Amino acid sequence: MPENMRRWLVLALMAVFAVVIVAGIAVGEETETDRVQSLGSRIKCPVCQGEAIADSPSETARAMMEIVAERVADGQTDQEIVEYFTERYGNGVSLDPPFSGRTLVLWLLPFVAAGFGIVMILGRRRKFSDDEMAEPDGAS
Amino acid sequence: MISILGTLGVFIAVVGSAFLGVRGFTALARREDESGRWLKWPVLALLGGSLLAMFSLEAGLLADDFSVSYIANNSATTTPFLYKVASAWAALEGSIVLWGLVLAGFVFFVWRAHSRQQGVDALGAGALGVLGVVSLFFFVVMLTISNPFEVCTASSGFGCADTSILPWTTSVAAQEGFGPNPLLQNHPLMAIHPPMLYLGYVGLTVPFAFAISALLLGQSGDEWLRRSRSWTRIAWVFLTAGIVLGGLWSYEVLGWGGYWAWDPVENASFMPWLLATAFLHSSAVQIRRGVLQAWNFVLVIAAFGLTILGTFLTRSGVIVSVHSFTQSAIGPALLWFLMLILVGSLGLFAMRAHLVSSSPRLDSLSSREGVFLVNNLLLVLFAFVVLLGTLYPMIIEAVSGDTVGVGRPFYDKVAIPISFLLILAMGIGPFTPYRSASPKVVWERIKYPLLFGLGVGALLVSLGQRNGWIVLLGLLSGFIIGLAVRQLWTQSKRSADKKGRKLAPEMVRTMRSDPSYWGGQIAHIGVAVLALGIAISSNLASETVVELSPGESDSFDGYTLVYVEPFQRVEENRTVTGARMDIYRSESKITTLEPRLNQYKASRQSVASPAVNTGLRGDLYLSLASIDSQSVTLEVYSFPLIWLVWVGGFLAASGGVFAWLVKPAAKPVRREEASADA
Repeated sequence: MPENMRRWLVLALMAVFAVVIVAGIAVGEETETDRVQSLGSRIKCPVCQGEAIADSPSETARAMMEIVAERVADGQTDQEIVEYFTERYGNGVSLDPPFSGRTLVLWLLPFVAAGFGIVMILGRRRKFSDDEMAEPDGAS
Repeated sequence: MISILGTLGVFIAVVGSAFLGVRGFTALARREDESGRWLKWPVLALLGGSLLAMFSLEAGLLADDFSVSYIANNSATTTPFLYKVASAWAALEGSIVLWGLVLAGFVFFVWRAHSRQQGVDALGAGALGVLGVVSLFFFVVMLTISNPFEVCTASSGFGCADTSILPWTTSVAAQEGFGPNPLLQNHPLMAIHPPMLYLGYVGLTVPFAFAISALLLGQSGDEWLRRSRSWTRIAWVFLTAGIVLGGLWSYEVLGWGGYWAWDPVENASFMPWLLATAFLHSSAVQIRRGVLQAWNFVLVIAAFGLTILGTFLTRSGVIVSVHSFTQSAIGPALLWFLMLILVGSLGLFAMRAHLVSSSPRLDSLSSREGVFLVNNLLLVLFAFVVLLGTLYPMIIEAVSGDTVGVGRPFYDKVAIPISFLLILAMGIGPFTPYRSASPKVVWERIKYPLLFGLGVGALLVSLGQRNGWIVLLGLLSGFIIGLAVRQLWTQSKRSADKKGRKLAPEMVRTMRSDPSYWGGQIAHIGVAVLALGIAISSNLASETVVELSPGESDSFDGYTLVYVEPFQRVEENRTVTGARMDIYRSESKITTLEPRLNQYKASRQSVASPAVNTGLRGDLYLSLASIDSQSVTLEVYSFPLIWLVWVGGFLAASGGVFAWLVKPAAKPVRREEASADA
C-alpha cells in the first residue's frame, strides 16, 4: 500500500471510530434496568455486612430490590426512592453520601487535598526555574 | 503438647526478635557486624521459633488436637485436608502466626543480603534492628492477647468454652470442633489468597526498616533507596497478586458476580498498594535525577503505617465487613503500636529532614519527571480518598452518633476520574521526552496506538456501553497498550535490521536489556487490560432470574439453559444441594453447570457455590437462590470479557516479577535516556 493511501486510511478509520463513540454516547439513555441497578448499588442492605442491596443475595436485599423496581416502574425519581428507604432505615442506609450536611466535608476534602498537592508541585517548579535562571546552561 | 511446642516457638521468636532489635541498633551505632555474624543467632532464633509455631499449629490442625482452643473453634475432624491447612489463617490468632512467619522469612532474607555486603553494612544492621522491634511487637501479641495456643479448659463437647494461656495447664479436649467459617472453607483460593496478601502486606515492613535505619544514620543518597526499592518491588508483586486473587475469590464464592466492593479490608490492602506503586515510580526519579528524597521517606513510612492502620481497622471490630470475622483485645495494642510508629518515625524524620532533603532540581513540568510527579500526586490522592471513605463513617458515628453510609457510589464518583487521570499519565509518561520533540515525531509515535485506542472505544460503544467516562477509559487503555507494543516493535525492528537478526528474539533481547523499564511497561499493559476489563464487564453485565422445573428450559443472552435435575450429596463436612443445568449455545451443548447450596455442619446459614462457565466472549454465571423438589430459582448473570480483569491483574504482577528476576543482559541504554542524559 502506498504511503499516502495508508495515511488517509489511518485518518479515515480514526474519524469513523470517533464518530461512533461520540454518536453512541450522545444518543445513550439509561434504561429502567440500569436505573434499578444503579439505585440498588446506592442502598445498603440492612441485614448484611457492608453490602449494597444490588450485590447481596440475601432475601431482605432481594425484597428491597423489588421495591426499587416497582417504584422505578411507577415513575418515581431517584431521590424519592432513596428517601423512601432512608425514612425507614435511617440515613446510614444510603451508601451515596449527599453533597450536604454531615457528608459535605467528605466530598470537599478530596478537592482540598488535590489543591494542596497541585500547589506543592507548582511551588517546586517555581523553585526550579529560579535555579535554572542562576544556571543558564542547566535549561536543556 | 501442641500448646507447649507452639508457645515455645513463639517464646523463642520473642527472645530472638528482642536480641535482634538490641544488637541491630548496637551494630548500627558502632558501625559493626561484618558479614552479619553478630546478628546471625537472633535472626535464626526468630526464624526457627516462628517456623516451630507454624508447624505446631498445622500439626495440631491436621491431628485434630481439640485440646487447643483455636483448633477446637476453627477446625473439625470432618474438615477436608486443604481447609485444615488453611484454617491456620482462617481466624485472627492463627493469621498472626502466619504474619509472624512471613515477617521472620523477610528478616532472614534481609539478613542474608546484609551478610553478603562488602565491608561494614550499618544501614542493613539498623534495618534488621527495626525489623527486630516490629517482630517483637507481633510475637509478644501472639504470646499474650492473641494467643493461638491457648489450652482448652472447658468444653460442652462442641468447640471450646474456656481457655488458659498457660500451656502446661491440664487440658480438656473438645469432642468435636466447630470447623472454619463456612465462607472460608468453600473455595480452594482460601489456601493461597491470604498467604500471598501477607507476603505483600508484611513485605512493606522491609522498606520502612531501611528508611528508619537511613534516618538514624542521617544517611542521604541512593543506597537505602535502591535497597528499599527492590524489596518494595517484591512486596508489590505479592500484594498485587494477593489483591487480584482476593477479587477472584469473592467472584467465585460470594454469588453476585462482584469482585470488588470497597469493603474496608479490600481498602486496607489497596491503600498500601497505591503508596507502594507511588514509591516504585518516585524512587526511579530519585535514582535518575536525585530529587524527591524526602518525599520517598514519607511514602515508605506512610505505606507501612497504612498496613498497621488497616490491620487495626479490620481486626479490632471497629468496622463491620465480611472480613472482620473476629474481635479481640488486639485493637488497642495495634492502635498504640501505630501511634508509636507514626510519632517515632515522623519525629525522627523531622529531626533529620535537613540531612536528607534533596537539592531541588527538576526540569519543567512537561518533562517526564513532571509526569512522574503528577502520577505520585494522583496515587497519593487516591489513597487519601480511600482512607477518607473508610474512616469517615466511623468518625461521624464517634462524634455525633449518627450513621452515614459511604459506599460504592462515593468511591465510583471519585475513583473513576482519578483512575482516568492516572491512566492518562501512564499513557503520556513513557513517550514524554526529556527534550521537546517535533509534532511530526510525536504524531508518528502515537498514530497507531491512538487508532487502536479509538477502535477499542468504538467497540465498547457498539457493545452498548453508554457511559462516557468508561468509554474514554477504554480508549486510553487501548492507547497505552498500543504505545508499549509500538515502542517494543520499532525499537526491536531497528536493531534487528541493523544487526541482521530475527525480530522475535530481538524483542526479547530488547526487553532483557532493561528489565526494570520493560517490567514497568508490562505492568502498565496489565493495568490497562485490567481497566478495560472493569470498563467492559461492569456496565455491560446482564442479569436475570429464572425459575424452572426439571426438564424445562429458558434462554438468556444467547445461551439456552436446560434444568436437567436436582441433586443432593452428603459429604463429610457438609450437605450439598444443587441443580444440574445443561448449557447450550446455538444448538450445541457447551457444558453442564452445577450451581449449589452448601449446608455446613455447625452453621445455620447455607453458603452458595455459584457455577461459572468461562469462555472467550465472557462468563455465564449461575447462582442458586432456592431449590425444592418442584422447581429451582437461579440468578443468571452474563459478564462479557471479565477474564480481562484477572489476566490484566496477573500481567501487572508478572511485570513486577520480570523486573525482579531478570538480570540486565546488557548495559541499559534507551534512546530517549541516552539523548537526555547527554
